[in-house]
Amino acid sequence: MTTARDPTIPPPRRLKPWNAVERGLAKVGISGRMLVLAAPVLWLLVFFLIPLAVVFGISLSTKQFGRPPYSPLLTTEEGTVQLTLHLNNYIRLFTDNLYIAAYLSSIRIAFISTVITLFVGYPMAYAIARAPDRWRNILLMLVILPFFTSFLLRVYALTGFMRGNGVINQFLGLFGLEPLVMMQTDFAVYVGIVYTYLPFMILPLYTTLVKLDVSLFEASADLGARPLRTFLSVTLPLSLPGIIAGSMLVFIPAIGEYVIPSLLGGPETLMIGRVLWDEFFTAANWPRAAAVAVAMLLAVVIPIMLLQRAQSAVVER
Amino acid sequence: MKKSQQLAVDTRPWRDTANNKPFVRIKNVTKKFGDVLAVHDVSLDIYRSELFCLLGGSGSGKSTLLRMLAGFEQPTSGTIEIDGQDMTEVPPYNRPVNMMFQSYALFPHMSVEQNIAYGLKRDNLGKGEISDRVAELLSLVKLQDYGRRKPHQLSGGQRQRVALARALAKRPKLLLLDEPLGALDKKLREETQFELVKIQESLGVTFIVVTHDQEEAMTLATRIGVMNLGEIAMVGEPTDIYEFPNSRFVAGFIGSANMVEGKVTEDEPGHVRIRSSELGCDIYVGHGVDCAPEQILWWAIRPEKMVLSREKPLTPHDANVTSGIVEEIAYLGDISLYQVALESGKRLRVSQTNSVRGNPDAITWDEKVYITWSDSSGSVLTV
Amino acid sequence: MRRGWFLPIAAALGFSFLYAPIVSLVIFSFNESRLVTVWSGFSTKWYGELFRDPQMLNAAWLSLQIGAVSATIALVLGTLAAVALVRFRRFRGRTLFSGMVSAPLVMPDVITGLSLLLLFVAMEGFLGWPQGRGMLTIILAHSTFCTAYVCVVVQSRLGDFDRSLEEAAMDLGASPLRTFFDITLPIIAPALVSGWLLGFTLSLDDLVIASFVSGPGSSTLPMVIFSKVRLGVSPDVNALATIIIGLVATGVLIATIIQLRSKPKKAKV
Repeated sequence: MTTARDPTIPPPRRLKPWNAVERGLAKVGISGRMLVLAAPVLWLLVFFLIPLAVVFGISLSTKQFGRPPYSPLLTTEEGTVQLTLHLNNYIRLFTDNLYIAAYLSSIRIAFISTVITLFVGYPMAYAIARAPDRWRNILLMLVILPFFTSFLLRVYALTGFMRGNGVINQFLGLFGLEPLVMMQTDFAVYVGIVYTYLPFMILPLYTTLVKLDVSLFEASADLGARPLRTFLSVTLPLSLPGIIAGSMLVFIPAIGEYVIPSLLGGPETLMIGRVLWDEFFTAANWPRAAAVAVAMLLAVVIPIMLLQRAQSAVVER
Repeated sequence: MKKSQQLAVDTRPWRDTANNKPFVRIKNVTKKFGDVLAVHDVSLDIYRSELFCLLGGSGSGKSTLLRMLAGFEQPTSGTIEIDGQDMTEVPPYNRPVNMMFQSYALFPHMSVEQNIAYGLKRDNLGKGEISDRVAELLSLVKLQDYGRRKPHQLSGGQRQRVALARALAKRPKLLLLDEPLGALDKKLREETQFELVKIQESLGVTFIVVTHDQEEAMTLATRIGVMNLGEIAMVGEPTDIYEFPNSRFVAGFIGSANMVEGKVTEDEPGHVRIRSSELGCDIYVGHGVDCAPEQILWWAIRPEKMVLSREKPLTPHDANVTSGIVEEIAYLGDISLYQVALESGKRLRVSQTNSVRGNPDAITWDEKVYITWSDSSGSVLTV
Repeated sequence: MRRGWFLPIAAALGFSFLYAPIVSLVIFSFNESRLVTVWSGFSTKWYGELFRDPQMLNAAWLSLQIGAVSATIALVLGTLAAVALVRFRRFRGRTLFSGMVSAPLVMPDVITGLSLLLLFVAMEGFLGWPQGRGMLTIILAHSTFCTAYVCVVVQSRLGDFDRSLEEAAMDLGASPLRTFFDITLPIIAPALVSGWLLGFTLSLDDLVIASFVSGPGSSTLPMVIFSKVRLGVSPDVNALATIIIGLVATGVLIATIIQLRSKPKKAKV
């Protein structure tokens, strides 16, 4: 073994180009941090935050013919800038029964579907969390797999399943039963939402359930609680963050759902996402569509806040 | 330095600060994280080829100080000099300092050889030179046959040695070790301690070790810096720290100590007398102490520095003897630890060597015993 | 713990609910008849038809291009955002930033689509860019919401990344940039790959946002499928679905095998 390098010779110093660049930028007041932040911040400002502001702005405009098909908010008349705001879109939202009905029915459909998804998803998540280790990953993969196949195609698959001469009714026919009318009903919409959003419910539930220490159940049983009691007083409260996170992950997108009601629902299945779509594409009333979007945003703000709190709780455990 | 190297452990350069230049100078270093004061006005000189231990509990600031030496943290104020060069502003990758991490921080996607070679490649050394050096280091840490393995294929002790080899690869002037033995089990730790000292002495590199384990610090160190609440509580050789603590904190932190409060009644150049109502007797200290009459101060004594007896022994100066009832006895094999309750209610811990096998005459529970000590056994502490 | 019969049965029913429609879809893609629900004999003619449909092929090609470009942009932006969120403990506007990054995850598609379209129209009015709507605007829109997904994936990987690995590299003489490429990147590479794949899949899957921001002549695959499906069942969509499901299943399978193989290693280090 040789001894340490002669300490009287100073260590070799090479000017590294990266250092020079960094120092140069620092002189202008730009740190490495700012460089990292700049791109995502700018992008999200331009393509996320400003668009929401634009929606709000245009919701205060009114439809007119031309390009673009809405009246400008700012006009210059004889050298002065004039700001014209229209509230008529919002007034219509509150007075026209169509909008109120669509709004309420969206919330109702999203709520009912979320509850059903919870009841279907909870046992599945629990079963996966309690499954033997080598099964767990395979089952989890089976839950995630549909998520990676096309959403649209899965909804389409359901239509083949539920239509008048679809798989279910053919199956019922084998037993001499009457065919059921499922397509173009609210029931089909519930099934569609449960079917497509089930993975969103299962994953956060699984994450909280799998972290629960088995000794908790053993302790509960040891103290004399029967399985159902243990479930109600230990498992359920401890998995609450997962329940909230999963429910919000289903509820929020379900509120704004367009594809499912338009493929599975009937003409009377009113949902706010569908109303917005029709307002924009069929009626070409951009300002009113924007007002509907603002109203929809209000419906999801509270669930989003709930979700964020629940998510941080899920992560912390 | 052609002549054989003089090691700090033999020359003890810190005893003659006038003629020895420190190798690492930490001058008035303070580090704040937001409002939290992690390191407060620390000044410390460390000499070449020392094995210096920073000892302290969690949150004492020892790791922060080490990270400032490595360059991962910038001092809020103060300077750090290494070998006469100001290193305060130098980024970690330009410092002649290497670090062995507590988690080892072995690159999981590189083999043992690649891990060790990583620092050498950054110095743009030639291929041959690098592979020679890697082989040399692998044999130093006795891992010749493990070069192609990945870190996850090694045991904890082997990973620890790879981390050491990687940190030594660049022949740093100064090696920083963050809890180097913390992740090993007790037996392996004891073996590795001596291994580490051997490697340090054979290379003559200056080591600064951070540890929370006082036994480890005692075994390894030429000197120990005890840290508390971001400040250096005491710096000294292991024997100084143990036998001559400078404060109640150090006396209590290192080993175990009995501590009592007392009042100075005689303050002479050659001796001091302290009256302690807790102890129920006077303490006669056979050397001068920097204090004033009537001053309240503390006196600390280690359990093994006191003697138990059934009969009242003769003591000079009418001091240094008290009595009590044996409350608890912990038999530890080589020694027995007695807890004696004094009249004041104060409890003293006294250890006695079990020199007679199965002694039937040993002092036992509920006996009245006398406790004595010599006039130089305890430490007088004013802070 | 004693296991009851309830959980396994519930799980089995749940999984059959998830997979039965997909399985029937795949089976009927090989049906001779035009009726997708009545079996009349095995045939692969719908696959042939699919590959002769220029509208379908063009849409597929367009979607693949959009998916690849959007996923790549999102990979860069999402990784930068994740680095900022994990590594920069405090900076001004952190809460707003993290909100902006994660909000697209839960924003209803119709709102995202409408807001971006209105932005593009307004930008064209003020700046003259982007001219018209088509591939470019779809890419811009898709990159935005894919960024959120990439960021989540990379963030969780960076979160349990041992920072002393980077410090060790710098301690051994590597500059920050060098450290990033030598140490950080190889270690978070699996997360980057899955982030990219996730972005690619999501882009390929999106109907609503693309419908808002696309222009004439730039119909993506989901848009073409949707217009077909809306008019009723069409067996060539079954064939297409089968191909997509096959590809995805193979991909996920390979990814899972790779992950399972590398898992015992990760657990130790």
